[in-house]
Amino acid sequence: MESRKLLKQGAEAKLYLHDFYGRPCIIKERFQKQYRHHTLDSMLTNQRIKSEVRANLRCRMAGILTPTIFMVNFQDNSIYMEEIQDPITAKQYITDMSAQGDSSSLLMLAEVIGQTLSKMHAGNIIHGDLTTSNMLLQGNPSNLRLFLIDFGLSSFEASAEDKGVDLYVLERAFLSSHPNSQELFNTILNSYQAATKNIKSCKEIIAKLEEVRMRGRKRTMIG
Amino acid sequence: MAAYQKVTHMLYPDTSVTLALFANVESCKNLRKCVMEGTVEAALLKTAMIVDSFQVLVAANKAIHLYHTKSMMTKNVHSEILYCLSPSKNISESFRSFGAADGETSVFVAIVNDAEDRTLKKVTNILGREPDSLDLTSTLSDKKLIAKTYRLTDDELSTFSLLDTLVSRVAAKEIITAGKGQS
Repeated sequence: MESRKLLKQGAEAKLYLHDFYGRPCIIKERFQKQYRHHTLDSMLTNQRIKSEVRANLRCRMAGILTPTIFMVNFQDNSIYMEEIQDPITAKQYITDMSAQGDSSSLLMLAEVIGQTLSKMHAGNIIHGDLTTSNMLLQGNPSNLRLFLIDFGLSSFEASAEDKGVDLYVLERAFLSSHPNSQELFNTILNSYQAATKNIKSCKEIIAKLEEVRMRGRKRTMIG
Repeated sequence: MAAYQKVTHMLYPDTSVTLALFANVESCKNLRKCVMEGTVEAALLKTAMIVDSFQVLVAANKAIHLYHTKSMMTKNVHSEILYCLSPSKNISESFRSFGAADGETSVFVAIVNDAEDRTLKKVTNILGREPDSLDLTSTLSDKKLIAKTYRLTDDELSTFSLLDTLVSRVAAKEIITAGKGQS
C-alpha cells in the first residue's frame, strides 16, 4: 500500500494512517521481533492481536469508548481501526492542565478515568497496560470523551488480585509521568470506588492494591 | 443505472465489489433461483439486517481478503459475504438470517468482480427494475431484529452508532466467537 503514512513506531507495532473506504483509519501492524524465536514470536503476536480485538469489543459491550475495528489481517498481523479525530492523550492533557494550574479540569478528568475503569473491571476486563498514554480524550473539559486503547496485554479475570494489579500499574505509570500527582490519583481511586456498584468486591480490590503496593506487581511464591 | 456503488478492494486492486439496493421488487424468487442454479453469481442479502452499505462493504472486504488468503469458511466468495455478515458460526443459520428470502420485496445485492457490470445487468433484468439509491438502506432495516441477532447490549447501543457496533462485530467475528478465557 503506497498511500499509507507512518504515524508512530512503538516497541511492538507501527501505526500507519490510511483510508478505509472513505473513513479515516489507523493500521496497527505488529512487526516481527528478530531477537525472538520466530515460532514463539508469531504465537505471541497472534495472541496479542486476538486479545486486543477481544478486549476492545468487550469494552464496547460494556459501554466504554474504544476505536471501531474495521478489519483484522492475520496475514501481516495488522488491525485496521477507526482513527479517533483530534485526540489528545490523557498524559498530554494532564501535563497541559497542570502547567496552566487548571485543577478543576484535572478533577473532572480524574472522575471520568475512575468511572471508566470501574465499568471495565465490572466487566472483568483487565487492561494489562494502563497508562495515561493509552487513554485518548476528545471534547471539552466539562464533557470529556475517554477512549481506551492498546489492549494487547489484556486478559479477562474476575479476581480482585488482577484488578488491584491493574490499578497498581496505572498508579506507577501515573506517578512516574506526572510529578506530584498522588492526590490526583487518589481522586481517580475515589471515583472508581464511588462508581463500583459491588461494594464488597470493590473493597477487596482496594485492599489488594494496598497489598500490591507493599510487595510490588509480582506475587511472592515462597511457602 | 446510477445508484449502485462499485468499490475496489484496498488490498487487492484487481478485485472489486458492487453494491446495489433494490428497495421495491415484486419478489426475490426468480433471482434466488438463478443464484442457486449458478447462472447469477451474487450475494443476496436481507435488507432488514442491513443499516448501511458500509456494513456490507466491511463484510465484503473481509470475505475477499479471506478468499485471497484461502481461508474462507464457505464455498465461494459470495456465500462468504453472507457468512461474514452474520454473528453466527453456523453457516445455514447465517444464510437463513442474512440471505434474502423468496417472498421479500427488497434485496441488497453484492457482486464481487462484476466485469462490465454484466451480473448487475442480469439482476436488473430478472427483477425488472433499476437499483435504488443506497441511501434508502437504513429505511428498510429492522433495528430490533438486528439488535437481537447480534446480541447488542444496551450500553453498547447508547454509546455507539448502530453501524459502528455492527462493523466491529463483523470485523472481529471469529475472534469474539472463539470462546472465552484464552487471551
